Amino acid sequence: MNEITTEKIVLAFIGGVTFLIAALLFFILSTLFLKGVPVLHAGFLFEESGDFGRAGGIFYQSMGTLILMGVAVLLSLPVALGSVLFQTEYLETGKFKTFLTQLTYILNATPTILFGLVGYLLFGVYLDTGVSWVTGSLILAVMILPTLQVSIREAVEALPEKYREAGMALGLSRPTQIYRIILPQSFYGMVTGVLLGLARAAGETAAIMFTATTFSGIRLPQSFSDPVPTLQTHILVLAQEAANPESIAQAWGAGLVLLGLVFLLTLMAWIFRTRVVMESEL
Amino acid sequence: MRADLIYGSTGTRYLEPVGWVFAIMTFIFLVCAMGLGIFLVVESVPVLRSEGLGFWLGENWWVGESFGALPMICGSLIVTGLAIILVLPVALSGALFTSEYLPPSFRRKVKGVMELLAGVPGIIYGLLGVSFLTVGVKDALNLLDGNTLFTAGLLLAIMVLPTVLTLSEDALHSVSSEFREVAESLGLTKLQTALRVVLPQALPGIVGAVLLGIGRAMGETIAVMLVIGSLDRVPGFNIFVSGQTIPSKLGREAAEALGSGLHWNALMGLGLTLFIMVAILTFSGTFFIKRSSQ
Repeated sequence: MNEITTEKIVLAFIGGVTFLIAALLFFILSTLFLKGVPVLHAGFLFEESGDFGRAGGIFYQSMGTLILMGVAVLLSLPVALGSVLFQTEYLETGKFKTFLTQLTYILNATPTILFGLVGYLLFGVYLDTGVSWVTGSLILAVMILPTLQVSIREAVEALPEKYREAGMALGLSRPTQIYRIILPQSFYGMVTGVLLGLARAAGETAAIMFTATTFSGIRLPQSFSDPVPTLQTHILVLAQEAANPESIAQAWGAGLVLLGLVFLLTLMAWIFRTRVVMESEL
Repeated sequence: MRADLIYGSTGTRYLEPVGWVFAIMTFIFLVCAMGLGIFLVVESVPVLRSEGLGFWLGENWWVGESFGALPMICGSLIVTGLAIILVLPVALSGALFTSEYLPPSFRRKVKGVMELLAGVPGIIYGLLGVSFLTVGVKDALNLLDGNTLFTAGLLLAIMVLPTVLTLSEDALHSVSSEFREVAESLGLTKLQTALRVVLPQALPGIVGAVLLGIGRAMGETIAVMLVIGSLDRVPGFNIFVSGQTIPSKLGREAAEALGSGLHWNALMGLGLTLFIMVAILTFSGTFFIKRSSQ
């Protein structure tokens, strides 16, 4: 009898904590929604911001974020794809392969601000791109490399062995096999990786705030050496003016848009990931 | 015979042109990843040479005079330590409940929401922290300033909660159901099974999950930077004062020190310190997770 009571108490406790977690997360999302929605007027996404971010919309900031994440993925995808195919199709299992895998994990765990620091030195100073959208894209490209690699590798490794064997039995050369069998079959994995990479790049602030962005003065970059305004840094600057209600209101609006973008990309990635699982179970 | 020529039996080292392209891509990856570590070390050499061990032990960070990283190192350790203490009981209860008591369909939904929330950008948490947490902490504890080490720790705990919860849940759920069946056939109640059979089995995985979450917390810049107060001093035992972590220091000063001078080298030295601390956490984390999956 006593044990049953204890059991009930403990169960009620952990159930209650779980409920509290749900409530907390619901609070976070609903706050963002409630604070953000009033700011969203018809032209919010398509208007220029004015009065140091206190009024207007976030058009150029959104463009900046899209430019940075888009270019980053374009730069990152070939490297990720090439290095994964080299590891899975060409390298034999051994120390070097393990080392490359470890490197992916280390890169994934590295604090993002370090990409900003080292990336600025490597690209901004030595490649002489300065504080610009090019530097930012390059930094983000390196940062999302592990995300893409992991997704693509999962898809390639999920391919049933019989596909490769069938290719070999037909006498396909290795490049043909990659082009005709492995790439089409792991296509969804690649899309998942790209979407998750985009989501990660879209949410990143620390790595680009002093290497690629500006708060005002520039709309769209006219040359390779121009910085861009971005949603993330826009929110950062506005959030630091916590005393000013107009700034904070605009920050909530921009925050909601940014979160919507990240969630949309992640959800799309999941849809494609389930396709990967389905294909591998055929 | 033909197949041997194309594929290269174990002895031959023939690589097609496409293979070379892939090899070059791998090389680029290698350069980027190794370059990060090498640059951090090389660029911190000047400050380590001028300050010696004092770089890690010195208490004063006065640009132009001396660079002592102790306030930031202490701040990072305190804030992440606080985050662990706050997140651990909550995440563990949640994971236990989700894994052992929730029906499978509901469990998948919880997991989905947690994974989605693990991707919420740090800047969003920063905004929430600035608007609610600092004011809340200030009023609740009757402080003069809500930007404290405690606020930062609390915010980080909320931030890594989804990650720690979902990874610990994975560890609990991957314990073979045979153990549960045997335990229940011996007459153990469901809770006893969960606490005395499943939990010990899943422990390495849970430790790994916590370490990975803490690694993420330690490297978080934006959210911490907005709520910590950015004051360089060794905080002692009072966590209700403003402080500074390594990432928040880097975030505050990188823009003004860009690319040159000893100030920049000092920031790189801080970066190296952070990198080592996070690498230790991550390595032990993956070690534990690997052990649990065996």
